[in-house]
Amino acid sequence: MNRNYIFLTLLMLVLAVGTVFLTMDDEPNQVDPEILLQEIIQPTRYVSTDQVAKMIIQGDPSLMLIDVRSEDDFQGYSLPHSINIPLDSLLTADNLSYFGIPGTKVVFVSDDDIRADQMWVLTKRLGYKGTYVMRGGLNCWMQTIIEPKQPSDDASYADMETYSFRKGAQIYFTGAEEETSDDSKVEVQVQKREKTNVALGGC
Amino acid sequence: MHIHELNPWRTLIALSAFVVLLIIGFLTMQKPLMAYQLTMDESIRELTESELYFYPWDLEAVIAKEADTIILFDIRDRFVFGQGHIPGAENLSANDLTKEENIERLEELKEKGFTVVLYGQDELQGNGPLMLFRQVGFSNVKLLLGGYNYYFQHKDDLYSTVDDDGYLKGFARFDYAEMAAPKEGALNSGAEKKEVQVQRREKTNVAAGGC
Repeated sequence: MNRNYIFLTLLMLVLAVGTVFLTMDDEPNQVDPEILLQEIIQPTRYVSTDQVAKMIIQGDPSLMLIDVRSEDDFQGYSLPHSINIPLDSLLTADNLSYFGIPGTKVVFVSDDDIRADQMWVLTKRLGYKGTYVMRGGLNCWMQTIIEPKQPSDDASYADMETYSFRKGAQIYFTGAEEETSDDSKVEVQVQKREKTNVALGGC
Repeated sequence: MHIHELNPWRTLIALSAFVVLLIIGFLTMQKPLMAYQLTMDESIRELTESELYFYPWDLEAVIAKEADTIILFDIRDRFVFGQGHIPGAENLSANDLTKEENIERLEELKEKGFTVVLYGQDELQGNGPLMLFRQVGFSNVKLLLGGYNYYFQHKDDLYSTVDDDGYLKGFARFDYAEMAAPKEGALNSGAEKKEVQVQRREKTNVAAGGC
């Protein structure tokens, strides 16, 4: 046999083995940093507490609330139908399966908006779409929905409208709270998916 | 019999041409502007570190020009920057952050040992850029807690903010469970209302289904 062929074969084998090492230190499915930065500087990811309240009250099937606080805090109080994924346990396969479902709006909730925003950046880096941050977090939720402040008499019509909505939402959430606070996570999940299917079928 | 065997040199020539091509390809490959230096795990762990942040009272030294290795970058847009900014800050609005020259500038500052402090209108505005820059390896970038709003409210007496927690984030300012609990006296009526509410939600669903 020609020596050249043996030499070529060996070279190809070495190169082939080399590719194994190339792919090993690459983390899969990550958004390019430049694109991520461009998405970060857009303020489109923020939703207000009013918007979230409205979606919960209307039973919006595409809404998925994810609470990024610790498990203890979550047990103490949580928004109805929310799921607990603490920031430091994001990367388990179980938790990641909540993201990237087409047609769902994932809204991150924390005490204020920083932790939720951190979670948003991390999931964005992993390439998940349809994620949002509740602006102001639970502190703002308490101030706007649970104990809304009455606007002054000369407030604009829009402010009055917001206030009357918040008063209604206050009754809804302070009344229905006890029932939903300790639901198991899985049950809530299943309900939501079913609803999505019904809505899709109807259209 | 193969034609190569007539002229063994031809194989070698083809091979070396191939290798040269590969080497040229690698050498001229464009280096991406930024690449992740921290894995996802490391990025999450880093979020709990306090060295990510710059405290409002530390600004005194920067404003008095005593801290010459610290550079303030205002990431709000140029118009807002023009209306007022922290003395000595440079404007690097968020929309320009991805520009090559700015990334190169940051690299240069890192090599020279400068600390870069970003600030936005509030902490939230600077949070994303901080996280990204950290993840791509700019370990000299920090974020001003409270942002411009907090600075503006306390600019006359920044030292006194040492005892204030108004700019701190990440904890509950209320007892949620107690606040959201059904109010006394409203307990019974609350239970009745619950049922009404459930009905309303069903209706919404039916409407949505019918389109």
